[in-house]
Amino acid sequence: MNLINEKAIEAYVKNTTLKQMLIIPAILLILSLSILAYTTYRTGAPFQLGLEFKGGTAAYFDSEKTPDQLKEEFKAFNVAETRQYGGGQRKIIQFGPMDASLKDELIAKLKAEFTNVEIRDMGEQFSKSLQVQAVRAIIISFFLMAIVVFITFRTFVPSGAVLVSAFADIAFAGAMMDVFGILLSLGTVAALLMLIGYSVDTDILLTTRLLKRKGDLNDKIRDAMKTGLTMTTTTLGALVALFIVSSGLIGSFLLIDIIRDISIVLIFGLIADIVNTWMTNVGILRWYIERKSQKSEKKIEKPKKRRQAA
Amino acid sequence: MNDEAPFYKNWRVLLLVLIILGSIAAITVSYSNGQLRFGNNLKYGLDLDGGSWLQVQLQGAIVQVDADPGKIVQVEFARLLSDPSVKIEGTSAGSFTFTTSKQTTQKTIDSFGFGTSTISSATGGGTRVTLQTSKDFLIQKYLKDSLNADVKQIPSSPGRPSTFEIRKAVTEDSLNAILKPVDGKVVPPFKEGVTPETRDETKKRLEDKLNPIALKQITITPIGDNYLLIDLPGVSIEEARKLALTPGKFEIRIQVQGNETQHVLYGDQITGVGVPQKEHGDAWGVSFELGDDGANALRDAAIQYGAVTNPNAHYLSMYLDDNLVFNAPLAPDLAKNIQSVPVKNMVATTGTGDAGQEKAKELQLHLRAGALPVPVKEAGSGEVPAPLGQKFKEQVAIAGLIALILVAIVVALRYKQPNIVIPMLSTSFSEVIMILGFAVVFGLQLDLATIAGIIAVIGTGVDHLIIITDEVLAGGALPPDKVYRSRISKAFAIIFAAAATVIVAMLPLILFMDSSALGGFAEITIAGVFIGVFIARPAYAVIIQGMLVESIDKTYIEED
Repeated sequence: MNLINEKAIEAYVKNTTLKQMLIIPAILLILSLSILAYTTYRTGAPFQLGLEFKGGTAAYFDSEKTPDQLKEEFKAFNVAETRQYGGGQRKIIQFGPMDASLKDELIAKLKAEFTNVEIRDMGEQFSKSLQVQAVRAIIISFFLMAIVVFITFRTFVPSGAVLVSAFADIAFAGAMMDVFGILLSLGTVAALLMLIGYSVDTDILLTTRLLKRKGDLNDKIRDAMKTGLTMTTTTLGALVALFIVSSGLIGSFLLIDIIRDISIVLIFGLIADIVNTWMTNVGILRWYIERKSQKSEKKIEKPKKRRQAA
Repeated sequence: MNDEAPFYKNWRVLLLVLIILGSIAAITVSYSNGQLRFGNNLKYGLDLDGGSWLQVQLQGAIVQVDADPGKIVQVEFARLLSDPSVKIEGTSAGSFTFTTSKQTTQKTIDSFGFGTSTISSATGGGTRVTLQTSKDFLIQKYLKDSLNADVKQIPSSPGRPSTFEIRKAVTEDSLNAILKPVDGKVVPPFKEGVTPETRDETKKRLEDKLNPIALKQITITPIGDNYLLIDLPGVSIEEARKLALTPGKFEIRIQVQGNETQHVLYGDQITGVGVPQKEHGDAWGVSFELGDDGANALRDAAIQYGAVTNPNAHYLSMYLDDNLVFNAPLAPDLAKNIQSVPVKNMVATTGTGDAGQEKAKELQLHLRAGALPVPVKEAGSGEVPAPLGQKFKEQVAIAGLIALILVAIVVALRYKQPNIVIPMLSTSFSEVIMILGFAVVFGLQLDLATIAGIIAVIGTGVDHLIIITDEVLAGGALPPDKVYRSRISKAFAIIFAAAATVIVAMLPLILFMDSSALGGFAEITIAGVFIGVFIARPAYAVIIQGMLVESIDKTYIEED
């Protein structure tokens, strides 16, 4: 069994035109941005905010009761939502803000009635300041990444192509968060930032190989794809393992939401990255290199075919 | 063609081996009381070990205030002397003169604490008072009295109005309302929060208060200037909230007459507390130390109410949260002493025998647990029960294992040669060990977020090893040394750029976000990237060359 189908890659690189390469990512990007815009229009923010950014109390515990029964039982405590994870006993109740004495009462009740009670409570004021900080962190992070990319390549089009595909990755991951109801939490913010740093790995590989290596353009793209797809596959493997164990959906594994959030957002982002690196970025770069070589045709040497031993 | 020493003697490989061994030692060996111990030195966070956390907001404000000092003198003394006809006669830098229609003495004026005064009788039967004091002091005093809170002056930038730290929850509007009668106002910006010094002092007080009660070491981490995050391993959330949030207001009062008492000082004036020990003969006692202001306040009160001359009629009482915890007269020699100078060191005697010792211990706690410098408010809390943490620990271990297996399968399918696959996976695994060693050495604790960070770093690590391998093997054969070096440097150009983007993307989490979970995640990620880029991956480049030399070198030479 071969991990990478070389023939398929070769055929793809040879036969796909710029237009064909750009159409799928363009549709994906427009779709992602529309989903984010729609969510913003409906709720006032591009993402639904989780406990850490909204404030409130959440309790996770084991119980045989159904979410509806729990909702009824905790009516007095400003219940926002009750949920069940997987088919198991694990239940979650989310509460809106409440005062300190009611909170004392709630904690006592939860602990008296259920086992394995995990409690998380975030003050509203602090959560709001975290919200602002998170948005700022994502913007600054993208900006710093852009600076590193520009310093690395020092030319506009290749750097721009890297940024466009990184942006599209993040937009897609964000849109999928909305589609699957994943809230903006500390975990998802960490993942979005990680994605900013992570998703440009393969783009940097591609751009460096294409601009700084000698050889036939299509050969270079094919080789870069072989390396890049291996990279993304290994990372996806690690992330899928994290997701399986932390999602609370499989077997007796308990939900670990910070790890689930990080892994699922990175999985979406990396899937988008396959499309955006090997379609968007390859397309733009090939167009850029071909145009440049047409302009300076006289200077260019006839590309030497690299010796291939394999 | 390769005349150099074998790859395993290369300094990069030796460095890697050395650091791996060091990390294993850091993780497993500890040294205490002259004995080497083997065990697990990794520190786990609350979400893995079980316990509760509490985030508290320090309530206060830092404000620049301007006001008319003459007005302050007038308003304050009109209130204190119950005389609406207090009139300012003259002000100059550092000196304020006013007249009142009431007869008063220098002692009374001085007891209000506005500075030294001189007194003469005014025409028409009143009193003329000249105070030696400053504008800043008057503003501070006014804020203190009106807010009934501690107010500290802090240095402000030249040319700006005086800056004060108000140790109480206030709003800009409420302050402006208070300042209006003295022609004063808050000069923007109004900043909610306290100074780093006050924050650290509060942190220390909380540690003193909570550590004797918790079974394991509690840690308190400042989050910005306004918040403290308290980790209480092994403590339930109910206990945690009760212990940390009940302010423990400690107060010393003096008996005036019968049941009537007057305030002398609060717990924040107690600067040091000794351990319970036998004082006079068999009696147990706790020594404590007052700050300058506290010693002065005690002296003033003792003199004003006559405790110096008749101690037994004017008991000193100590209250914690308005509950009487101790009460006793001034000792005769102390009473005599305090008349001439403020006394800073004293002993509270609690009685003889076991009962006296018990009481002394309790009093020591009370004295130590005295009021925090600023009031605190709950801003968040949580609990993970220990069995759940244990389950999480098992789960992340399983996750790591599955991740490693999946990565191994992918890499094996792609490269098929054991002499590539094995070094690649070993290098990757060595990175995990080095990151854990780093965490132990630098005291970082492992929690769910940092473990996610480690697994993510391993993901990028394998990526970079793949970049090196593919670059080296371009064309499927191992090139001569010179070409090999240039290819390695190309691979590292890609790796450095990719690593730099991860690092800069993580930096804002440390610099701009008040979240210790994300801060830990970013720190471990950045550390992991550095370890990978500068230690593990260069060594891998050397190892992979060495491993491939024998198998491919010959073919290459023949082809040439």
